[in-house]
Amino acid sequence: MTGYLLEFSQALLALLLAPGLAGFVRWVKARLQNRRGAPIGQPYFELAKLFNKDVVISNNASWLFHVAPYIVFASVLAVTFLIPLIAAPLPFDNIGDLLVVVYLLLLGTFFLALAGLDPGTAFGGMGASREMTVAAIAEPTIALSIFSLALGAGSTNLSHIVIATLTKPGVALSPGHLLAFAALFIVSLAETGRLPVDNPSTHLELTMIHEAMILEYSGRYLALIEWASWLKLTIFFSLLANLFIPWGLALTLAPAALAIAVVTLILKLAILGVVVAVVETRIAKLRLFRVPELLGMSFVLALLAVTSSFLLK
Amino acid sequence: MDNLFSQLSTLGSSLILLFGITLLWRKSLHAYTDAFQWQSAALTVVFVIIAYFGRDPELYVVAVFLFILKVLILPRYLERMGKRFGDQRESQPYVNVVTSLMLSGLLVLLAYVVTRPLVLVSDLPTRGGLPLAMGLIFVGLFVVVTRKKAMTQIVGFLVMENGIALLAALATFGIPLIVELGVFLDVLMGFLVMQVFVYHIHSTFESIDVDQMNELKH
Repeated sequence: MTGYLLEFSQALLALLLAPGLAGFVRWVKARLQNRRGAPIGQPYFELAKLFNKDVVISNNASWLFHVAPYIVFASVLAVTFLIPLIAAPLPFDNIGDLLVVVYLLLLGTFFLALAGLDPGTAFGGMGASREMTVAAIAEPTIALSIFSLALGAGSTNLSHIVIATLTKPGVALSPGHLLAFAALFIVSLAETGRLPVDNPSTHLELTMIHEAMILEYSGRYLALIEWASWLKLTIFFSLLANLFIPWGLALTLAPAALAIAVVTLILKLAILGVVVAVVETRIAKLRLFRVPELLGMSFVLALLAVTSSFLLK
Repeated sequence: MDNLFSQLSTLGSSLILLFGITLLWRKSLHAYTDAFQWQSAALTVVFVIIAYFGRDPELYVVAVFLFILKVLILPRYLERMGKRFGDQRESQPYVNVVTSLMLSGLLVLLAYVVTRPLVLVSDLPTRGGLPLAMGLIFVGLFVVVTRKKAMTQIVGFLVMENGIALLAALATFGIPLIVELGVFLDVLMGFLVMQVFVYHIHSTFESIDVDQMNELKH
């Protein structure tokens, strides 16, 4: 029973943290660019505002356009139940391993792309085709980089991977681990629409990917999609934080351990947020045709990670 | 202790290989030089690690020479040459970036296969890095073969040399100092000769694109 309670509180925590994390990254970025920046709580206000607004929908849109935001949000929300956010052995471990996580994330992307195509606008189609180009190269990389950890742990179950790393701390410095981290970091930036691939803060027609797909959305649909994309950012960051540096995660259900786990999770997310903000301030967006090269790079890193953890076992 | 040694040396070797592979992704000569400089710095660190754990004080001297030659002198020369020839981007290599990244991944796999018998019989704590060093040699050779600009080919050669140095250090814990010094001199001489060649190529063809060198009947 407490296990299920833990699952729900973990998902709730992720839901509540996600807009804050997005706001935090924006704020750090603004400070780095000598701007004052919106307060960290700004995304919460945005959500509240959007949920209160009416929805305007094109006459050409079909039922798919109405359903997609819910599917996108639900698939991302389902992932928060499956990944170890604050505690390691989860009661839902048997429901899904890393493959389920990867493909649930892809399911959301797929429906978002469909919804982008549905109203028949030029930008939506463009965004959808770009998003699928990125996703097609990014997904195998995510799977491969987590596989390299799974090879070390002997299980594709995310909790088992985390526990295996905790029991053998030396593994965290192995080349497979580091290469996989680098690969997953690059892919996280691509999948969450961060800077070298997509710029989250502009609506520049010629370069946008994520924004182009959701251009037709408004009101609560837009709120759901925005929330889902922030949640995705949180999920990727916590995968990076907890799979590679699992220390601080609660292994028991004692309240003290859980409190420590929550604090360390927030700390890790904040550190990764600062790193991403610094990266985004320092580099410019890649030309679209160079994006597959960057992702190809991360795929090779993941491949090498798998190779080295397979052969050096 | 040995465990930590093997972990650190493998880690260092994979970092060195990583810089070798980033080379394939970048295009400007400046980026090539940068990656080479970082790689050499990482190589120096690996030498220091081997010197410390392998208790071989001579290797510290080698590391100092390596630092001076490959981190300070050669990148500076490369930068100067790059400035002189203006913007020399590797815009159209023989093999495009994505394919060369994939091929380099395969080359590293090949290196794993080739060195597997060696790794199996060896009981050195540094054996985990051997395939990576071999992979770096392959990747360096690949850069030499597939890039068109003479400058980037030089960097490829230097990267390959780094790979050989790493392999030697990992496999033997340091060859005698005098041999090491000879190798450094060789690298420096080789580099200078190539530099002279590049200047000649540039003054004859007004480009350092080796693709244009099939018109030798000038």
